[in-house]
Amino acid sequence: MSPAVEAGPGASPGQPAAIAAVNVTKRFPGVLATDAVDFCVWPGEVHTILGENGAGKSTLAAMLCGLYRPDEGHIERDGKQVRLRSPRDGLAYGIGMVHQHFRLVDRFTVAENVVLGDPHQARILDRRAIEERVAEIGEQFGLPIDPRAVISQLTVGQRQRVEIVKMLYRGADVLLLDEPTAVLTPPEVEALFTTVHSMTAEGKAIVFISHKLGEVMAVSDRVTVMRAGAVTGEVATADTNQRHLAELMVGHPVEIGTRRGSNIRADVALSATGVTVIDGDQTLVDNIDIEVHRGEIVGIAGVSGNGQRPLARALAGVITPTSGHVTVAGADVTGKGPKAARRAGLSFVPEDRLGTGLVPGLSLTDNMLLTRPRGFIVDRRSARAEIATAIDEYEIKTPGTEVQARNLSGGNSQKVLLARELAGLGDPGGPQAIIVSSPTRGLDIGAAEFVRGLLHDARERGAAVLIISEDLEEVRSLSDRIAVLYRGRIALEGATDELPFESIGLAMAGVAHEEAP
Amino acid sequence: MIRIRLERRLERHWWQTVLTPTLSVLAAFAAGAIFLAIKGFDPITVYRELFKASFTSTYGITDSLTIAVPLILTGLAAAVVFRMNLFNIGAEGQLYLGAIFGSWAGLALTDGLPTILGVAVVLIAGAVGGALWAAPAAVFKAYFGTSEIISTLMLTFIALYLMRYLIFGSNSYWRDPESANFPQGKKIPTSARFELFSDTRLHWGLAFAIAIALLIWVLIRFTSLGFDMNVVGSSDSAARYAGIPVRRTVIIALLISGALGGLAGATEVAGRAYALDPNGLELGLGFTGIVVAALARYNPFAIILVATFLGGLRNAGVALQGLPGDRVPVEVSLMLQGAILLFAIGGEIFSHHRLSISRANPAVVT
Ligand SMILES: Nc1ncnc2c1ncn2[C@@H]1O[C@H](COP(=O)(O)OP(=O)(O)OP(=O)(O)O)[C@@H](O)[C@H]1O
Ligand SMILES: [Mg+2]
Repeated sequence: MSPAVEAGPGASPGQPAAIAAVNVTKRFPGVLATDAVDFCVWPGEVHTILGENGAGKSTLAAMLCGLYRPDEGHIERDGKQVRLRSPRDGLAYGIGMVHQHFRLVDRFTVAENVVLGDPHQARILDRRAIEERVAEIGEQFGLPIDPRAVISQLTVGQRQRVEIVKMLYRGADVLLLDEPTAVLTPPEVEALFTTVHSMTAEGKAIVFISHKLGEVMAVSDRVTVMRAGAVTGEVATADTNQRHLAELMVGHPVEIGTRRGSNIRADVALSATGVTVIDGDQTLVDNIDIEVHRGEIVGIAGVSGNGQRPLARALAGVITPTSGHVTVAGADVTGKGPKAARRAGLSFVPEDRLGTGLVPGLSLTDNMLLTRPRGFIVDRRSARAEIATAIDEYEIKTPGTEVQARNLSGGNSQKVLLARELAGLGDPGGPQAIIVSSPTRGLDIGAAEFVRGLLHDARERGAAVLIISEDLEEVRSLSDRIAVLYRGRIALEGATDELPFESIGLAMAGVAHEEAP
Repeated sequence: MIRIRLERRLERHWWQTVLTPTLSVLAAFAAGAIFLAIKGFDPITVYRELFKASFTSTYGITDSLTIAVPLILTGLAAAVVFRMNLFNIGAEGQLYLGAIFGSWAGLALTDGLPTILGVAVVLIAGAVGGALWAAPAAVFKAYFGTSEIISTLMLTFIALYLMRYLIFGSNSYWRDPESANFPQGKKIPTSARFELFSDTRLHWGLAFAIAIALLIWVLIRFTSLGFDMNVVGSSDSAARYAGIPVRRTVIIALLISGALGGLAGATEVAGRAYALDPNGLELGLGFTGIVVAALARYNPFAIILVATFLGGLRNAGVALQGLPGDRVPVEVSLMLQGAILLFAIGGEIFSHHRLSISRANPAVVT
């Protein structure tokens, strides 16, 4: 049986596709996730799937790796029809997927996670050999990772490296990367692309999913655009450009402009003075001072793992700083817990959405209630009305309000979280200060622009906004001021438009800090 | 391994919820039939008698319901915390403490009170006793992460020997001084007893247990505390993020569970034994509660039905003794109950697997 698609630019004549989906349809209750999709990747090719949140990209990838089974249609590997019952079957055919939400066991080490559930692994683990092999793969493909580190201590970016190493360790020849760059810093993205190209040079086939058009142009050979479960176009990267891709994706041109605050007030709605977080003998956050004025957006840039997470948690009251003070709208909330910080007017969108920001097993309605003050009896009616409005306003793709949060696509769950945390903006009782970690990570370009609009709007309505992100573009597009975090300290700080791109980059790498006068 | 978790349905269809427990009960009966046949009994006859004894006559039904009273409460005790992945398996011990506290209160405090007040005093004391017995396990769990499975089980043994000591081993306040040769508990005054339904053994504790089931349903579904319990049960990190006091919630949940176990003991005292009666209490009602909860999928209303069913099964064990010919061992009903639990747990996994396989298309490998 031959695949339904003609050979692409990277393919040699007569060579079958490394992997192909033929006419696959997948339905979830209330949703047609993929609709008679044809898709194929040649050996040695990087093929990007582009599409809005909820378009069906992850679902298509999940069927290619054996996680889901198509309701109709089938999967072909090297031109032969295969029946994949599980990801394990997929791996047996050399197909491995790195998911949007990682699937690692927090309490295990990197090496343990790599071999966990591997059917080819000997019953008795030769730790040293595994660790050596993991380190070796890491080195070979530019994915440095300490095989003995425990997952819970790793940053999101590092966890992703573990996932990729895990697939390579098991001999994947077809690698599906679901929004891998969403959690990476620019240098890490560069490194990943080097990895990807070294893999394609060996004839491996790569499926790449991303919302970032610059990356798509840089890394892929072909692009398939999906919309509402169907394929709407396929182009060779050589024949297109970012603007064109954006149009294909959302149906109209998208402008991504930079925006600054027009009315920054004198009073400070969020401040940290001397905030320090020490864990054991490690100083994670070192004597940080931040002031965010009403009507201002401050961006915290920095490579992941330099204290962003503990800083955000200390500001939001989730952890008590070892020393220092946090005030929200003039009230000292240091160490009083998240509820007190919220009462004072603070909203917080954490880095980890599904699992921290949202409870995967609860309905969307209940998730709206998570951070709301609740009386003795839970008021689901107003929460349901609120999520229903948010579904319209944010264009959240979901079959209903009582669906478990875990069933939403990555971008849509982010929208639910934002809808909850940004609710009531501009009202007297609404958020006065907002801390957002990577606000547009995983959002399609239309939705990302929508959220940027929201945050800008929040600023213009007098809220103080703190954006914490590894994505420098994201930080620069909105922030009035930028502070670069390096090893728990602010290495560089200044007005966004006065800081040259290069010096921010150097500060992120720790150079400016060492040489600062 | 991953495949079990994924492709779960958005909602479980009602028939799936009913199907697994029903199938596990049927499978248990099938397994029991094999056992009975090996032992030389005719399974059909035994089962027919069993159902006749428990579910056909007025006496059978009311007796089944009488046993259902404590089973509803111990079932709720398990359900409340099991759904949060907190495994209080010590409802048995909490029941004994509930009986000890309840009978003490009945003896010491209720003389001359109107019945409604007297019974209330016994029940409240029982709940306090059960909660106290769960408290060490709750605190150790919340502060040191000690496994509640082990601590609640250990506490059960202590409770068992404490209760026996009070009646058989000492001249305690609970023991009837007139019963030197056959030590027995002192009877509580009638003002502390549940009234009976006409001339049956069924008492008003049934209405009480059903009311409590309703209350627990409201707690879980509609109150803030229930919401917090849901969040803590599914994601620690989300609970911390939202500022839900994780330790306090864990402790409260385990105390509620303990109180429910204690109530089971108190209703036995106020409704059936009228005294601290180790022989009448050591029926494994607490452990059976785990089966009830599992089979009912932690749903309070289903617990009422399942408790009645298992109560009848238990009841029948005794009735089977009356059969002509070789005596069917009383243990048949206990064995069936154990088998039901095993199949229920197995069925749970089976149903998840089915979920992922059932969506398959019949594609053929070429
Ligand atoms: N397990 C599931 N159960 C029910 N519905 C699901 C499930 N997984 C995905 N869906 C639905 O199928 C649709 C497609 O989801 P999918 O995750 O493939 O989107 P996506 O293109 O990857 O979006 P994103 O860019 O937001 O990650 C969405 O409407 C989603 O809600
Ligand atoms: Mg996705």
